[in-house]
Amino acid sequence: MINVFERLNDGKYTIYFGPAHPGSGNFGVKLEVDGECVISARADPGFLHRGFEKLMEYRIPIQNAVLSDRICILESLAWNLVHAEAVDELMGIDVPERARYIRVVLAELSRIQSHLIWFGVISAGTGFDTGFKIAFGLRDYILDIFEMVTGGRVYPAGYICPGGVRRDFPRGAKERIMRVISKICVDEDTTVLEKLENKVLKDRLEGVGVLSAREAIKLGATGPVLRGSGIKADVRRDDPYEVYECFEFEIPTMNEGDAYARYCVGIEEIKESAKIVRQALKMMPDGDYIAPQFRKPKLHVKIPEGEVYVRNEVARGEGCVYMVSDGGDKPYRVKIRGPSFLHMIPVLEHLLCGAEIADVPAIYWSLNVCPADMDR
Amino acid sequence: MKMGVLAEVFGNMFAKPMTVRFPKEAIPIPDGYRGEHEFNIDLCISCGLCSKICPNRAIDMVEAPEEYREKYPKRYPRIDLGKCCFCALCQDICPKGAIKMTKNVFLSTFDPKSVIKEPIK
Amino acid sequence: MKREIEVLQCLKEKFGAEGYVRRDRRVFITVDAEKVKEAILLLKNKGYEHLSAISVTDWIKDGEFEITYHLWSYESKILVTLKTRIKRDKAIIESISDIWGGNARTHEREMHELFGVEFLGNDDLVPLFLEDWDGPPPFRKDFDWRAYVREKFYSMDNERERSYYD
Repeated sequence: MINVFERLNDGKYTIYFGPAHPGSGNFGVKLEVDGECVISARADPGFLHRGFEKLMEYRIPIQNAVLSDRICILESLAWNLVHAEAVDELMGIDVPERARYIRVVLAELSRIQSHLIWFGVISAGTGFDTGFKIAFGLRDYILDIFEMVTGGRVYPAGYICPGGVRRDFPRGAKERIMRVISKICVDEDTTVLEKLENKVLKDRLEGVGVLSAREAIKLGATGPVLRGSGIKADVRRDDPYEVYECFEFEIPTMNEGDAYARYCVGIEEIKESAKIVRQALKMMPDGDYIAPQFRKPKLHVKIPEGEVYVRNEVARGEGCVYMVSDGGDKPYRVKIRGPSFLHMIPVLEHLLCGAEIADVPAIYWSLNVCPADMDR
Repeated sequence: MKMGVLAEVFGNMFAKPMTVRFPKEAIPIPDGYRGEHEFNIDLCISCGLCSKICPNRAIDMVEAPEEYREKYPKRYPRIDLGKCCFCALCQDICPKGAIKMTKNVFLSTFDPKSVIKEPIK
Repeated sequence: MKREIEVLQCLKEKFGAEGYVRRDRRVFITVDAEKVKEAILLLKNKGYEHLSAISVTDWIKDGEFEITYHLWSYESKILVTLKTRIKRDKAIIESISDIWGGNARTHEREMHELFGVEFLGNDDLVPLFLEDWDGPPPFRKDFDWRAYVREKFYSMDNERERSYYD
């Protein structure tokens, strides 16, 4: 599907990777190519721009919670959490302990399913279809849990809302989550995905798209991309939110900074997330699942004047919401900072320069990108 | 290593598939699923909260048709399923429980008119 | 809390900034528009290496844009939000793309497109998201997107879209 649209006499081409490429998502990169080698790359975003920041200025927080699902389709619960935390902090809501644990369990499950997609698309992008199918099959088990807990498979419709969560954990959910986790993580330190690792996949990823630690920080890389370049930084540990202080987990890092390092960090993170889910389910207290004043959705709730900047570790990196309120019942300004915004524009452009055409999908997908949270 | 692969191959030959054969069998939909709405007009008090909270403005408050107007004189919600995002806020905010979400997910249709749910059919 | 107050004090002395510590690891500081680049350079040398975001808030009643820079330090683990105000009718500010390269350039490109703020020294302010856009910068408070959408995409004749016209 790569579409050669202009041919010059000196062997230089302009090639579009996406948006009609089956593996690119709603996103395009314009590549200047000399023979097999990419000379320069220019990202072409905007195919999914829905203007959430503006839309949120016109809606009340509970409606915004529903809207915040859509920021990133592949990890809607994580974005629910970012939005809910911003409102909680601005309004000074005391979220019940049980709700905090439920939030963490769902955010971590959402991270696992997002990393499973990541594994799936890396496999598909490098021609390893079995991995793709198995990863998406495993993800479906987690979607079944979401369906049971939130009432929707992909979109939880603001399940994590300001004040807590919209309904309690149903009976039998804990056992079911444990069963699914043990399906994905066979034991403490092996996942099913590691069994699928093979030489072809490794050869396609190793030494490709090397991002040095200095460049990673300068270009604003976060999350697995930054950790793949050898920097031990995780918002859950450095800037703890919810109840992440109570859990024991490692921050996996790799020093190589290539696509394979990022891929390995992703697999390790699935295990760490599984660890957190197990601990959280064990420690989850009884009690209320939402602050009492929010049990019924209300139309007119004043948000006190002020501003907050909330940082969360979503699966792709650092997800932030900057919310300003002027004292009305709607936020005055919401700025959403998606991790893919920087991963897909400056980091991708930087990594693609000098790469081979055949490595473009491997580099592209190793960044764990999601066009939806870039365009917003 | 080789033997492990063989054992896995044989194991998978007799294992149940990950998928189900859809029209014949289906994965059961759990309780609390957010599907098509069920509106009970006798419980409705016409407060209009559902139409105000709907993020997509999918709910309009309309009068009942002529022949029912004597029995139901107020305004009742008409739900446009084409605009609905199935967030269940209308169900949560309804003080009388007149709107409930059912498990019905088979909503695709060729007729754009049929996605509008009138309060009285 | 001690380190947060230290950062605040340092900027107060050097640039006459105002600010407050909202909670652990969150500092909000306001500086003048002329000194903002200097302040950012100072913070970067102090270890605030991660430019998390650049954002603009449109305070239409005051006739001002508020530009916010969110900087995170991997060493001291503090997030500093540096704010500055510029006039709405003369929305020009110095770019920081020479400090952060592609990162800042992309953020500024987005803010230029959505708010119409001019960043001096940024050579890459071409439209990012919107294609063939003919209206004013869409995230400004005086842009009524509902009216724009009604005029451009909806019609009164369509029964299902009529409710948008009340």
